[in-house]
Amino acid sequence: MAFDIDKYTATSVSVNWDDLDLEQYREHPLNDQSLRTLRYMTDVEYHTVCYTRDLLTTPSHKEAEMSSFMTMWNREEFWHGEALATVLGHHGIVVDFDELKATRLKLGWKDRLDPIKQSLLGKLVGADFVAVHMAWGAANELSAIQAYNRMADLEKDPTLAVLLKRIAAQEARHVAFYTSQARDRLAKSKRAQTLARFVLNKFWAPVGSSIMDRSEVVHVMNHLMSGPDGRKAARRIDASISAMPGMKGLAIVEKSLDKLGIAA
Amino acid sequence: MTTHSDPGAGDDRGTRFNVREFARTARGNHRTELDLAEFATSPLNGETLHAVRYLGRLESATMEHLRNLLVTATHKDARVTAFLVTWAFEKFWLADALDAVLEANGLPRAQDVEEGRKRRTVSESHDRRGPIRRAISAIRLGVPIIALHMTTGLVDEWVTRAAYEKLSAAGDSASLRSTIAMILEVKSRHAAFFEDDARRRLAEPAAARLTAKEIVTQAWPIGAIDRSAEDRTFFDEYVFGGDDGRARAVAIEARIAALPGLDQRVAARIRERLVP
Repeated sequence: MAFDIDKYTATSVSVNWDDLDLEQYREHPLNDQSLRTLRYMTDVEYHTVCYTRDLLTTPSHKEAEMSSFMTMWNREEFWHGEALATVLGHHGIVVDFDELKATRLKLGWKDRLDPIKQSLLGKLVGADFVAVHMAWGAANELSAIQAYNRMADLEKDPTLAVLLKRIAAQEARHVAFYTSQARDRLAKSKRAQTLARFVLNKFWAPVGSSIMDRSEVVHVMNHLMSGPDGRKAARRIDASISAMPGMKGLAIVEKSLDKLGIAA
Repeated sequence: MTTHSDPGAGDDRGTRFNVREFARTARGNHRTELDLAEFATSPLNGETLHAVRYLGRLESATMEHLRNLLVTATHKDARVTAFLVTWAFEKFWLADALDAVLEANGLPRAQDVEEGRKRRTVSESHDRRGPIRRAISAIRLGVPIIALHMTTGLVDEWVTRAAYEKLSAAGDSASLRSTIAMILEVKSRHAAFFEDDARRRLAEPAAARLTAKEIVTQAWPIGAIDRSAEDRTFFDEYVFGGDDGRARAVAIEARIAALPGLDQRVAARIRERLVP
């Protein structure tokens, strides 16, 4: 089914938490393991706008539908950051923009070269690269949903669960956009399929891997994706990715967990 | 991972523009508040509609601009990126409001009309650079480039405000005037952020030097470089042509000259680019 961009933009809202009793965390705080994972998620959500630059260094920015989606997508993800930062705030952990800036300033050369690398690749393969970006975006958003749902299940805190489910529901609309774009574009081009398969297989890593320390990535993956239930969630993501044209048999999430040494 | 527990430390210290408050009170879809009925009986003239369509194209070209900014060190400043997320969102809906005016006048939305060929003057080649060249040159320029981007945002606000004011005065339409009043109200917060941030950054000599050197090579307003030559020629003449237009450009020139670290020479070169 085609994605209705006008309907999406008209109904895009910032995630709401006014009705949730977050004050209770002053008395009954979440555990340290969860707070560490939430902190990771917060940073990743705030960082989303920076990924826009990678998506836009390709011909995709010329397309109105893509621009409309990205405008709303950036804002929704920013508000996910704000929502999670508010939960952290009730635990005395303040995430402010200046501090996020300090983290980004540490990123160094790789961060500076990334846009160039992406642009060059985008220019080399032209329109087919948009398909790769869309498939990549779909994989990221699918894993975000699983991560939020897993967190909600593991924490067993009803208030947090409501907030995380709200965030996951917005991520589901992002998945719908990315997968419908990826499916259409991959279906039209064998070359795009080959390229997407290669890039996903070779380079995909859990969201946040490029901006967070490896120790934090390992912590979050251990927390959310280890054990039989974690693997089950990983396989669900892989199954969705495999359903896209030319992606059959890909198991990039499971592979990335193995690479990080996360126990099945 | 660094965290600290000082609830007083946000982005709203002192008189600094409050980005969180701006994001929280962002204004989206304007369709229900627009008064468009008037156009059914007294439609706008062709020139006015041309200006409306072009301004809509400029307002909606945020993602191209974000790309140019985010391939540089500007992406590292989380306060700036947080602002830009909401800025793009509000501009999306300003463009939609302008589309609503076009539709009420029996015209298609701006994005559904083919744009003509771009202008290819040699003096603008610097501004035509793609993301790869921008990213490479930005490595050398480092963090001071944020001052250039914030100052460009500020001058862009002044230039587009001049255009909206001309448009508001030109058409004899109460509906258009109220739509533009709403647009200018939304945009006033964008100008406030850019002004606050640009002034702080231009106080650094290295940032001011870089800004003075680079800002004179840009096409105005932001995004014009990707628009059609025909639209741009129309806009330049419409807003900055004739004696009135010249006076508007001179007023912008004076404001630029008064910014810290920029001087009359820089301001005059920008004015020359505005006036047809």
